[in-house]
Amino acid sequence: MQDFLELAVSAAASGCIYGLIALAYLLMIRPTGIINFAVGEWAMVAAFGGYVLLTKYELPYPLGMGIVLAFMLVVGWLTERVAVRPLVEKGATLLAPILALLGVLVITREIISISFPPDPHTVPFPFEIQYHKYFIIGVTFAVFAGAWLFFEKTLWGKSFEAVAVNRRAAALMGINLSRVTSLSFAAGAAVAGLGGLLVSPNISAHYLMGVPLAIQGFTALVIGGVGRVEGALLGGLLLAFAEQFTVRYAPIPGGFAQGVPLLFLMIFLVLRPTGLLRARA
Amino acid sequence: MGSILEVRNLSKRFGGLTAVSELDFEVREGEILGMIGPNGAGKSTTFNLIAGAYPASSGEVFFKREPILGLPPHQIARRGILRTFQHNRPFQGMSVLDNVLVGAHRLFNRNTRDEETARRVRAQELIEFVGLGDLAQADVGTLSFGQGRLLEIARALAGEPRLILFDEPAAGLAPAELERLAEIIRGIAARGIAVLLIEHDMHFLLPLAHRVVVLNFGAKIADGLPDEIRRNPAVMDAYLGSHAPHP
Amino acid sequence: MLLWVTLALGYNFLFGICGQVSFSHFAFYGIGAYSVVILLFQLHVPLPLAILLGVAICVVVALVVAIPSARLEGFYLALATLALAQLFVVLLNEGGEVTGGTGGIASYRLPAIFGMQLRGPWYTAVIVALLLATYFILRKLDHSWFGRACRAVRDNPEAAAAMGIDVARTKVVAFTLTSALAGIAGMVYAFVDNTVNPPIFGVENAFLLLFMVIVGGSGRHAGAAIGAVLLFLLPFWLAPLVGHHHVLVFGVLMLAAILLQPKGLIGIWDRFSR
Repeated sequence: MQDFLELAVSAAASGCIYGLIALAYLLMIRPTGIINFAVGEWAMVAAFGGYVLLTKYELPYPLGMGIVLAFMLVVGWLTERVAVRPLVEKGATLLAPILALLGVLVITREIISISFPPDPHTVPFPFEIQYHKYFIIGVTFAVFAGAWLFFEKTLWGKSFEAVAVNRRAAALMGINLSRVTSLSFAAGAAVAGLGGLLVSPNISAHYLMGVPLAIQGFTALVIGGVGRVEGALLGGLLLAFAEQFTVRYAPIPGGFAQGVPLLFLMIFLVLRPTGLLRARA
Repeated sequence: MGSILEVRNLSKRFGGLTAVSELDFEVREGEILGMIGPNGAGKSTTFNLIAGAYPASSGEVFFKREPILGLPPHQIARRGILRTFQHNRPFQGMSVLDNVLVGAHRLFNRNTRDEETARRVRAQELIEFVGLGDLAQADVGTLSFGQGRLLEIARALAGEPRLILFDEPAAGLAPAELERLAEIIRGIAARGIAVLLIEHDMHFLLPLAHRVVVLNFGAKIADGLPDEIRRNPAVMDAYLGSHAPHP
Repeated sequence: MLLWVTLALGYNFLFGICGQVSFSHFAFYGIGAYSVVILLFQLHVPLPLAILLGVAICVVVALVVAIPSARLEGFYLALATLALAQLFVVLLNEGGEVTGGTGGIASYRLPAIFGMQLRGPWYTAVIVALLLATYFILRKLDHSWFGRACRAVRDNPEAAAAMGIDVARTKVVAFTLTSALAGIAGMVYAFVDNTVNPPIFGVENAFLLLFMVIVGGSGRHAGAAIGAVLLFLLPFWLAPLVGHHHVLVFGVLMLAAILLQPKGLIGIWDRFSR
């Protein structure tokens, strides 16, 4: 029983990370329709930021976190400006920014890999490591609560929704499209960055950590559905539970654990591409 | 001339809203049937039902005596019903000629060089018929709105349809272009092709159509010759406030 | 290098001409390579049969991926192929005895064909033959009604359907065909260095392939070829400057291409030769 509980907590923590990445995607997909696979690299950048500030310079944790998140906001905004805005203004199809962002993904990864030695870098956690998982879960729930409130209750959140439903109509109603887009990218980067920061004490910052996170996060999104914020978290939790419980209790070698999210992704794409939760009409 | 398209008791409900209700009409070969009605009357829905965009709630549609309701769009096209789009939908990555050639897709069956050449010649003829003669090799991105509309028509004709569906073809065209359009549509009907034309603009439609069906709130409220429709009080009522017809 | 060009041509047809984004091209390259090696040397299947079975496996896998995705939006295919690519590498790594795990399989030799041992320059001839065959097949398709149908599906699926094109079937056929071609290229690859191992068939190279086609000019065979050659040679030229980080340069080039010249290098060439 103890074993089971530990596994459940561990899965919940992983699920939260996937959920955060999924949320990052969602924040960008909803207003623009753009799927930004670079969220994994964003998480990685934040993890490295954590390494630099917390390990090398040994700043206090809240300060370090705050600086990294602020930095991520800028990174997100910059990415949108450079890789997305010019294409949208030219009237290019949706495919173009998605591809451009793939370029950004690769460029980001290479920059990090050039700047740091190739070994994994540890990122510390200021309290007892056993509380780390609860910290992840707590922070994630807080973020999701905040996101939910944002979309449901605030004017800004409603304008995001409006843009998601109908861009042109939203623009006609005076909603500033480019501001919404910039904001969504900045927020997406921050959320992804948070995910990266939270996960890094566990797995250490490493320049290859981006793509697997991006895939897991996207799988979580597909499972939960793009329509609702809660879906991202639900998807993440389901995925993590399935993953960890399969590895623990099913008689297959550990390496296959990596295959579980992929298998889920393919299954969901085939059977229920819109995800489990439907958007509110 | 026989009926080539028969619509019987066609209905479509979207949730609680009845968009089309027990619609009955037919189109004959070589005839231009106009379908008019105020906004929201159900014209587009009817059009989409025939074109296979979504399934109907009830009713039947027969083309050449065979049921076609519920078939997917590409199969409807294969049987000989081709259409234009209200908001022009050209294939952007291709030249005008290639666009028209795609229209002929349903006719290709053996991938021989001769067939390809023959189709190209035919496509060129059609491009000239609609008046885009010099633009065959042009990139579709360079076409004006009116030219794009003409391309839509040439493309739909390339497949040698027995029935051609026009979705508000007059929308957005200048008066000179409207003249040309009417001429082209008459030319098409003269070749024996049946034409179903939905249009909002009465001034364009009434002089052109052989017969007219009027819809309002999803139901047919009048059916007859253009002159009869012009004088029909129910039709005038329907349009009152939006678009009164000239007597 | 010629193999890369072959792959690029096939991928260009799928992506540039049919407009389908896919990351599994290299996975099929791998499926072809590993299938033929495993069939020949572990199951001792004769060569012609091994080749046929290898192609069959590629076709089946392609159908499994393509058929459900054909009815959905384009990016579902992209995802499914991404998942397939990653899954394939995981399977290879964990395949133990059958796939040789992370080290792969090595030290086998192409069996004699018609009594001849194909080595060295003779084998290069095989590769060139493959490249030319791929080029001719794709070119013929491109200029046929199928090629036009693919482009129509790429540009405007709704209009394509209205003209009688079965959009789903066109997508599936294009995907299956190009994947099978990639698989065959993989089979040829298996005997180039006489070794196959997992890293080559991963997502990294899939990205590179995409980049190549975009930088060279998607939709045009010449573009794909130029892109492939360029990206193959670039690392050698750039080595003194950036060492192993040529991927960074690729990323930048690709981004530049999308932002500035979506028609790729071929587009620039066109402009000059006008």
